[in-house]
Amino acid sequence: MEKTQIEELVAKYNEGVADPKEIKWIEQLIESGEIDLTQLRELSGLDEQIQKMEVLSPSLNLDDRFYAALANEEKQIKKGTSFSMPSLSFLLPRLAMAAALILSGFGVGYFLQSPAQKSEVSELSQEVNDLKEMMMLSLLEKESATQRLKAVSLTSEMSQASEKVTNALFVALNQDDNVNVRLAALEALKPYVGKSSVRMKLIESIEAQYSPLVQIALAELMVSIHEKKSVNALRQLLENESMPKEVKTKISESIDVLI
Amino acid sequence: MEALSDNALMMKVKEDDLGKMSLLFDRYKRPLYGFFYGLNKEQELSEDLVQNTFLRILKYRHLFHGEGDFRAWMFHIARNVNNDHHRKKRVKATEDLDNWQERIGHHENQSNEMQHNEEHNMLSMAMDRLPEDKREVLLLSKFEEKKYSEIGEVLGCTEGAVKVKVFRALQELKVIYKQLEKSH
Repeated sequence: MEKTQIEELVAKYNEGVADPKEIKWIEQLIESGEIDLTQLRELSGLDEQIQKMEVLSPSLNLDDRFYAALANEEKQIKKGTSFSMPSLSFLLPRLAMAAALILSGFGVGYFLQSPAQKSEVSELSQEVNDLKEMMMLSLLEKESATQRLKAVSLTSEMSQASEKVTNALFVALNQDDNVNVRLAALEALKPYVGKSSVRMKLIESIEAQYSPLVQIALAELMVSIHEKKSVNALRQLLENESMPKEVKTKISESIDVLI
Repeated sequence: MEALSDNALMMKVKEDDLGKMSLLFDRYKRPLYGFFYGLNKEQELSEDLVQNTFLRILKYRHLFHGEGDFRAWMFHIARNVNNDHHRKKRVKATEDLDNWQERIGHHENQSNEMQHNEEHNMLSMAMDRLPEDKREVLLLSKFEEKKYSEIGEVLGCTEGAVKVKVFRALQELKVIYKQLEKSH
């Protein structure tokens, strides 16, 4: 539409004689930016009045409530990130007393325990281990990755992990959706690499990994235990074209060391 | 010293420097209150909704990326807070038939409040008679200082579409305003 035609249309609208069809055109021209709302006198005047309309103020009650909520939120943050440390002069005598009590307890216990008590203690520690095992296995089933990480870290507290536990760790290493859980499971399996069955499963696990972080961690582990049988599995990883260059270099280096 | 921009303040809030939130509150409590009051005509409710908007901003501060405009983001949240309130109210109204007396009382208060606060201001009365979507676009235009692209971000449409919405709302307001003039 020509400029003069638009001016005519605007003039007609301002005179209050534009028909519905012309108003539709005006809408289209407003949308395309060819007519500015300020050109429409009456509407623009109304708009100006709205802009000047007095705005009421909220009461001071709103300020009170807002600042109370803000202070509460700040407190929550502080609670989550830090805690106040008691002074050393307050702690030192108490720590010394506690240490002395524990040591004397061990000393007295060592001299007083009978063979029967010794076996009771070992039974008890076995029960604690079983309990930890049970807890670990149930936590591994949880949806939350944090819970599963907790489960994996529980194994470090066990004196000796059962086959059930190492199997569960392998499931985590090969199938968990979360890379951090996989890495933690690999870390938890390291104390058991002395067993040939664990080493074999670790080699098999190489091809189940998609994360470069886990692939590199496994390659490094293979180097540290001098597991030459892993070379083929590592070579297969290199065939993946989408693998980042840095990861390829790292794995090639591991293969070179192993050969 | 140049005052910190809204976005810079909000980025600080995002980093848990919550003290900066009070500066944003000071800047926007009044426009937000005006927006809610324009929509609901209730003082206490409007204050509640302002409070809820700021609480929601705090809660979702990690979602602010600083790419868009803070004010548009804030009014977007404010609209959601208002819609959520009315949705809950509708559910409650159908479920809770026992509080009918309270509700009638509430409407009486509302009309009294209108009479007192608006002092028969014709323009305000005309605004109150507009359908809610049209009233909302005019209020957003007022409180976002006619920044139509910003309003587009809030309403999820183009700048041109916002201008057409404002045009239609003003057209209808003009008709209501003239009717009110005639009847007075």
